[in-house]
Amino acid sequence: MSIVDFISQFAPEVILTIAALAVMIIGLGLGTKEKRALGYLAAISLIVATLIIVFRGTYHLQLEGIMADSLTIDPMSQFFKLTFLLVSLIVVIASLKQYDNHSNQDEYYTLILLGTIGMMVVASAIDIVTMFIGFELASLSTYALAGFNKKDPSSMEAAIKYFIVGALSSTLLLFGLSYLYGLSGGLTNIGEIADYFSMNPGIIQSPMGIMAMVLIVAGFGFKMALVPFHMWAPDTYQGSPTVISALLAAGSKKMAFVAAFRVLLIAMIAIKVDIAMVFIILAILTMTLGNVVALSQKSLKRMLAYSSVAQAGYISMVFVVMSPEAMTGAVLYVMSHAFMKTGAFIAVAALGYMLLRENISAKDVDHLDNFAGLGKRSPFLAFSIMIFLFALAGIPPTAGFVSKFILFYSVLKGGFVFLVIIAILNSALSLYYYARVVKYMYVLPPSSSEKLALPGAYSLAILLALIGVLAIGIVPEPFVNWAASAANVLGL
Amino acid sequence: MDFGTLAFLIPTLPVIAFVLTLAFGNKLQSRAGYISIVAIALSFLISVLIFLQIYPHGTVEQSAHWFSVLNVGIFIDPLAIVMLLMVTFVSLLIHIYALGYMSHDPGKTRYFAETALFTAAMLGVILADNILQFFIAWELVGLCSYLLIGFWFRKPSAAAAAKKAFLTTRVGDVLFLAGIVILYFNMYTHVLPEVGGHGTVYLLQFKTIFEHLTLIPTDQLTIITLLFFGGAVGKSGQFPLHVWLPDAMEGPTTVSALIHAATMVTAGVYLVARTFPMFIAAPESLIIVALIGGFTALFASTMGLVMNDIKRVLAFSTISQLGYMMMGLGVGAIIGAEAVGFAMFHLINHAFFKACLFLCAGSVIHAVGTNDLREMGGLFGKMKITATTMLFSSLALAGIGIPVSIGAIKLGTSGFVSKDAIILEGAYSYLHFGGAYGSLIFFFGVAAALLTSIYTFRLWFMAFTGKPRQERHAHESPLSMTVPLMILAVLALVFGALTFSPFIHYLETTYENEFFEEIDPNGYIHGLAERGGYHIPEEPIVHLDLAHDTLIMMLPVIAGLLGFIISWAIYHKRLFSVASIGNMRNPLFRILAKRYYQHEIFIELISLKFTYGVLALTGEFIDRKIVDGIIDGISSFIIGGAEVLKKIQTGVVQNYATATVLGVALIALVLSWGVI
Repeated sequence: MSIVDFISQFAPEVILTIAALAVMIIGLGLGTKEKRALGYLAAISLIVATLIIVFRGTYHLQLEGIMADSLTIDPMSQFFKLTFLLVSLIVVIASLKQYDNHSNQDEYYTLILLGTIGMMVVASAIDIVTMFIGFELASLSTYALAGFNKKDPSSMEAAIKYFIVGALSSTLLLFGLSYLYGLSGGLTNIGEIADYFSMNPGIIQSPMGIMAMVLIVAGFGFKMALVPFHMWAPDTYQGSPTVISALLAAGSKKMAFVAAFRVLLIAMIAIKVDIAMVFIILAILTMTLGNVVALSQKSLKRMLAYSSVAQAGYISMVFVVMSPEAMTGAVLYVMSHAFMKTGAFIAVAALGYMLLRENISAKDVDHLDNFAGLGKRSPFLAFSIMIFLFALAGIPPTAGFVSKFILFYSVLKGGFVFLVIIAILNSALSLYYYARVVKYMYVLPPSSSEKLALPGAYSLAILLALIGVLAIGIVPEPFVNWAASAANVLGL
Repeated sequence: MDFGTLAFLIPTLPVIAFVLTLAFGNKLQSRAGYISIVAIALSFLISVLIFLQIYPHGTVEQSAHWFSVLNVGIFIDPLAIVMLLMVTFVSLLIHIYALGYMSHDPGKTRYFAETALFTAAMLGVILADNILQFFIAWELVGLCSYLLIGFWFRKPSAAAAAKKAFLTTRVGDVLFLAGIVILYFNMYTHVLPEVGGHGTVYLLQFKTIFEHLTLIPTDQLTIITLLFFGGAVGKSGQFPLHVWLPDAMEGPTTVSALIHAATMVTAGVYLVARTFPMFIAAPESLIIVALIGGFTALFASTMGLVMNDIKRVLAFSTISQLGYMMMGLGVGAIIGAEAVGFAMFHLINHAFFKACLFLCAGSVIHAVGTNDLREMGGLFGKMKITATTMLFSSLALAGIGIPVSIGAIKLGTSGFVSKDAIILEGAYSYLHFGGAYGSLIFFFGVAAALLTSIYTFRLWFMAFTGKPRQERHAHESPLSMTVPLMILAVLALVFGALTFSPFIHYLETTYENEFFEEIDPNGYIHGLAERGGYHIPEEPIVHLDLAHDTLIMMLPVIAGLLGFIISWAIYHKRLFSVASIGNMRNPLFRILAKRYYQHEIFIELISLKFTYGVLALTGEFIDRKIVDGIIDGISSFIIGGAEVLKKIQTGVVQNYATATVLGVALIALVLSWGVI
């Protein structure tokens, strides 16, 4: 493969890289007002990248020559890249209004674009080193983004906690990966490592092999925010700027899933039963703790953070079953959840923006009380929040229902009846705190009868997420098919 | 172009009209009605185009699956297309009429929005290609009827009537739903293995059901069809769930016309006609349908005799005529698929003359400002168009005609042609060929015909002839109201006479076409009838020696004319006084005027004492004390747990690291467990 072929195959990443650098360099010479254009530049580059992915569709390319052993293009990578790009696009559009007077907005957009590139590299990576580098690129960008409101102590706290815990998890992951490298005699390609271990099953079953898997599972557990590695998530999601919470919950967290889908296959070779046992425990702990603690949250962002934890619990059931159907469900769930969560966080951000515009010193703008009577004050916003929350709860005809249905059904077919029962009970439980928000918005009287004017940028971002949620829910076939071909890549 | 592809627009357009009227109605004010009218006119137009395209042998079939759990589809066969044409046409005329009738009502925006949705729901019932979709649209019809009967919801009697209609039909709906559940269960156990498992077919699709009907045990079919019939009894106002229909008069008269002619009550008859193959394969079901139908026909007409509210007389006549339709379907036990033709023919004719009667009644009420027949009289001179159109439709309702045909044309009003067919070719065949309870059913049919004729003309004479009993400034209604009347009156007079045999033959092809021949080459309906234990003779009644039974053949005609003469003598010529028998001292009169004490039995005894006093209060106790107690316990446990678990999250990063170490230890433990 020549360098030209490479550039054409990875055009979305290349375009984003150029845009990221351009935004940073051009930003140096511009005043705050002129910098607004950079947000549009970032958005355009994301749109172009998205369109390229969409029009190329699903295909599987055997790369040769440069990067042949470290990157791949297959339905799985494209599916996740599309998810990441759409999430970033929605986040960028929502930020256009939020940061239009911020003197450092050029850095903000650069970081988002770099983070997106990192996620996309992870989606394509089939080499443990490349994957780790992608991870770090995305993580370092988002550490900075989490603390972007640097005058806000809670934003700083969120960033620091995120950074410390993130560093810890990276260490664990890297440590585990280095064991793999050593045990396999110096291999870094995931497929080759898997082949090596399947020929020498004794190695992975040795104490060293087990230790490697423990560290890798723990490392991914951090990134996926599975209990008990989830503790950074609520603090970080709550403290970060809300649009960045959307990026973290819907983007960078999902990056961990695609990496885990690929890497944990290695573990499937020799110790499938034990890995299943581990994930049964982790999944049950994660979904139950996430949902139960979400019940008592009065801060919407924190509630969404715990709901995110719970949803990760549902998705991680795929590691228990590891069937093609379950993988289809999980892959689809990732995209659905990306839309629902992004939409929900952005909607909360929009409300916060409007409340702060009314009263600059308002505190706790994401408190549940602020949602009282929102149905009258801002009908579109309230309606969208309702759809996102119902989607998170898994009510048809939304994406949440479709993906939950496929995932749960596949777990049932896999024979884990008790796990499905627990998951369904959890779903029912989650409706309590989702429906409570709807009750606040539509049943309780508003604190002020004044209408809230939703800025156009937020409306557009919310609308995009809304379309995504409803499109997957109403016309699921194309998405399910793509997810199924993505699942096939793994050769389960 | 293939007009079948437009079929989805038929119910969609009125739904769009509903949304638009709600959204922009207040700005448009008096013009709000035009949106619905245009939408329904387009629906009618599309229906006509589809009819022209598929007549005489075609069908339209479209279906989309959503997963394998829900199917949305359209199925238009002869049965559906005649319903479509009738509903869109009659609903269109009623909407045009309402422009004038509702012009002074402040809620007319809401009115037109709701009637558009009502029509859309009914069209959804007709077009459904599976029983579940049918049920969903059916429920929507129920909801709209609730909204429209209670249209003047500030009036307590209207609110009560709406609630009564909703609750009474709900009894039927629950039975219907139970039938669907049992049907699905049977399809799942008996049919699914035959067709090759999941994903191959949609089990609740009508065609799938019909195709594999013989796989379902007949005793199960009897249960299913009787439950379906329970739904039809509720919706179509058959005994004993008819009690809501007379009260449904509380809505605007145009709503009554919609309910009685085009939408709602015909849905029950349509349900039985749609699932007719199931009924004929089910022992006993059709006999019960015929008996209930016949009894309802007679029972309701007795009460029609003594009502003084003009709309109430018409309401009882609707119940009675619906009884005829059910009877017409019931005698399918002897005459096979032809029965569907007879019943549907009466349904269509009834739609024309009943819509006309209601709209005339509306016109009269509009003019004199009262519903009470005793306060009317002598209106003929003042409202010539209304009086004439009402006379025409009354002739149709009473079934006046001569049992003679000139070529394909039958001499007689629409009501006569179709009722005659049901009584003679249906009920009489039933009697002749020895169907169980044949003589009883025949008696119901003839006696109800006589009473129908009496009360119909009583109504007309009391309203239009004689001296005005109260001074009123009655005036003829505007053109937007009278033109629909004239169209409907003409149809009431001649539609039946002109279309009888082509209509019956066309409807027969619903269940006698290539699709059904492939299932059973020896005759699909005949084969099912054998399973159901019914015997359809080879020779139809028309080949019998007519002279042999001349008197019997003439009975419906005599009944109609006799009724006219009796009414004429009592209410026009006043040859003898009504008051001598029509007073509360006469026990027969009292029982009729009190409507067989139905209020006392149904409302006070069954509803209040038993259902509310015993069932509801016991249920409430169990629900509040026991169920709620358990639920509250669980919820306070979980919420309490949430408060405890929340405390784990200390906010201190060191603790998070501790948790991590514990987590790693946990995973290591589980993983090494298996290895060691």
